[in-house]
Amino acid sequence: MTQDVEMKEVPAPSNSTASSSPSTFHHLKEIASLIETGAYAREVRRIVRAVRLTMALRRKLKAQVLSAFLNFALTPGSEPHNRLASYLPKEDEHEMEVDTATSVTQTPVKHPLPELEIYCYLLVLIYLIDQKKYNEAKACSSASVARLKNLNRRTVDVLASRLYFYYSLSYELTGDLAEIRGNLLALHRIATLRHDELGQETLLNLLLRNYLHYNLYDQAEKLRSKAPRFEAHSNQQFCRYLFYLGKIRTIQLEYTDAKESLLQAARKAPVAALGFRVQCNKWAIIVRLLLGEIPERTVFMQKGMENALRPYFELTNAVRIGDLELFKSVAEKFSTTFSSDRTHNLIVRLRHNVIRTGLRNISISYSRISLADVAKKLRLDSANPVTDAESIVAKAIRDGAIDATLDRANGWMVSKETGDIYSTNEPQIAFNSRIAFCLNMHNEAVRALRFPPNSHKEKESAEKRRERQQQEQELAKHIAEEDDDEF
Amino acid sequence: MDPQLTEVSQLFERFKAACVREDVDTGSNLLSKLKVMLTGFRSLPPLFEDTPNAIHELTLARDIYEHAVLLSVKIGDQDAFERDFFQLKPYYTDASGRLPPSSQEYMILGLNLLRLLVQNRIAEFHTELELLSPTALENPCIKHAVELEQSFMEGAYNRVLSAKQTVPYKTYDYFMDLLAKTVRDEIAGCSEKAYDYLSISDARQTLLFSSDDELLQYINEEHPEWEIKNGVVIFQKAKESAPCKEIPSLQLINQTLSYARELERIV
Repeated sequence: MTQDVEMKEVPAPSNSTASSSPSTFHHLKEIASLIETGAYAREVRRIVRAVRLTMALRRKLKAQVLSAFLNFALTPGSEPHNRLASYLPKEDEHEMEVDTATSVTQTPVKHPLPELEIYCYLLVLIYLIDQKKYNEAKACSSASVARLKNLNRRTVDVLASRLYFYYSLSYELTGDLAEIRGNLLALHRIATLRHDELGQETLLNLLLRNYLHYNLYDQAEKLRSKAPRFEAHSNQQFCRYLFYLGKIRTIQLEYTDAKESLLQAARKAPVAALGFRVQCNKWAIIVRLLLGEIPERTVFMQKGMENALRPYFELTNAVRIGDLELFKSVAEKFSTTFSSDRTHNLIVRLRHNVIRTGLRNISISYSRISLADVAKKLRLDSANPVTDAESIVAKAIRDGAIDATLDRANGWMVSKETGDIYSTNEPQIAFNSRIAFCLNMHNEAVRALRFPPNSHKEKESAEKRRERQQQEQELAKHIAEEDDDEF
Repeated sequence: MDPQLTEVSQLFERFKAACVREDVDTGSNLLSKLKVMLTGFRSLPPLFEDTPNAIHELTLARDIYEHAVLLSVKIGDQDAFERDFFQLKPYYTDASGRLPPSSQEYMILGLNLLRLLVQNRIAEFHTELELLSPTALENPCIKHAVELEQSFMEGAYNRVLSAKQTVPYKTYDYFMDLLAKTVRDEIAGCSEKAYDYLSISDARQTLLFSSDDELLQYINEEHPEWEIKNGVVIFQKAKESAPCKEIPSLQLINQTLSYARELERIV
């Protein structure tokens, strides 16, 4: 899930108010007011919009802007303000991080909204992670999670789910993922109790990621099968869920399900999420090879992915030709890439497929061939290749991979005639599966149409309609730009 | 030292002696007693408390469970093996940071992999494999199991059986024998489809029997449909290929109806 854009932040000189500062601060103030209106009107959509606008500002966040914003949003001197401000470096000196105990906060004098407070936490956290101050980010996120446990408002949920994500990210970047597993499980329980569906989804994905990071596929599957399922709220979370599901299924040898999930994840992912799509594609390629089908060349030539997919391209080549020697050399050549992708064990499983493909090629090209020649062509390196070849061919025949018979007395393999396929039911079955797929897609699209929830309640005044249209335009523009904003 | 601890250690020594003597009954009795006494220790999973004797207790418990696993192999009880192995696993994974590595760890891991293979639980085999670090995969016990699985998947059954000779430890023999039986069934299945007929001597060789009588007995029990004529085993003749002109009408009707229904839904 590597979408972390490496931001090279030029630290702003302390006494120059760069022209971007006031406008960033201005933006932040706007966002704060948006959050306030949203919280008062209990409209979650405004908060979502606020978060989206924040992500656009991500690159422009600087320490002074943040401290100024904190001063504006929270009363200076109140406990949340002190805690958050301690994470930001003051001017040029880096203050020692004050790890204040996380106690229950008393309501400060100005009554800032809890949403605003959580929003400040989020801002500081994003800033710390972008600055690569991972340890402080860890502390900050733990504090925010402790704070969140006390809040139970729908409007906070959107912000909360972002916070959970960064919480997990900060721990992952410092290599301590195992520590927070208990916390994540508790949070998931709480989210389910409060019917916080977005939070549930996010936390489930984070938990799966946690387990898969340590290769605990068994436990991940147990969690996934028992967790409550519902319609996905966020496209990004759904993509992630599909990817994790695909991975689990691959390891459990259920290749058809895995292929479906992985391909769907790769398709649904936003174009800007290049790293994620590369990973999906890598696993999808291997699963297809394990299923016995060769992915087309266009898969490897997708924009931006050519270099990353190069080792897999060579691997596919070796499998396609059915050459064991080539396969072994490719596997050794790129073994470091495969180990870092954690696909090494899957590649080992591919050996069997290479042999099968080789056999299939032989059986199609020869009507009759001696077993010794088969062994030689397959280049099986073993003690007595002929007996090996015989058993392998026998198994392949039993599994239906090739259509042939063996003749022990003469020691050869006789291929059967492959009749005309079009005279059988094969084309009809293939057509049927495609038709079913298209119809399914149509049904899902109809079901996915969303209507605004209050549309039937009141007639819109002209003003409200204008506002809604403006929002829709913004949304459309944003989708068209495909900005990599959300997570 | 803690009196409880000394008691357990003494009982453990007696247990080990019983195992060496191949006295399975005493061994099982002592084992149950040991397990009950282990519940008294608070530093063991799932509590993992930090008592002063923690390291000692953990090592002792781990040794006890390792011997329990080996005992279950001697008895041939696969369920007991599974239970004991699951209890042993947290010692290898969670407590591995605190304890010195056990000498028998890889052997037991290899045994477990072999057991999963014999029971045909290939998905779990692979899940377990994922949990192993690359150094673990280099170990001969683990490597043996992995190569065995590969040969099994490929169908090179003779390699599987020759691997019987190369077992790293004697304890593997029990599972290898079970594996041999599974392999024989597989070979029979493959030969049935691949060959039209086989001479008796060839059949005996492929199915790895030492005499013709055993072969005939096997055929009578497992595969009564094979015919034996003139010293040749004729496998079940492929059923007369069903007339391909037959139309699977039910399936066609179902499909067409579903198309009609879906198309009607499109507004």
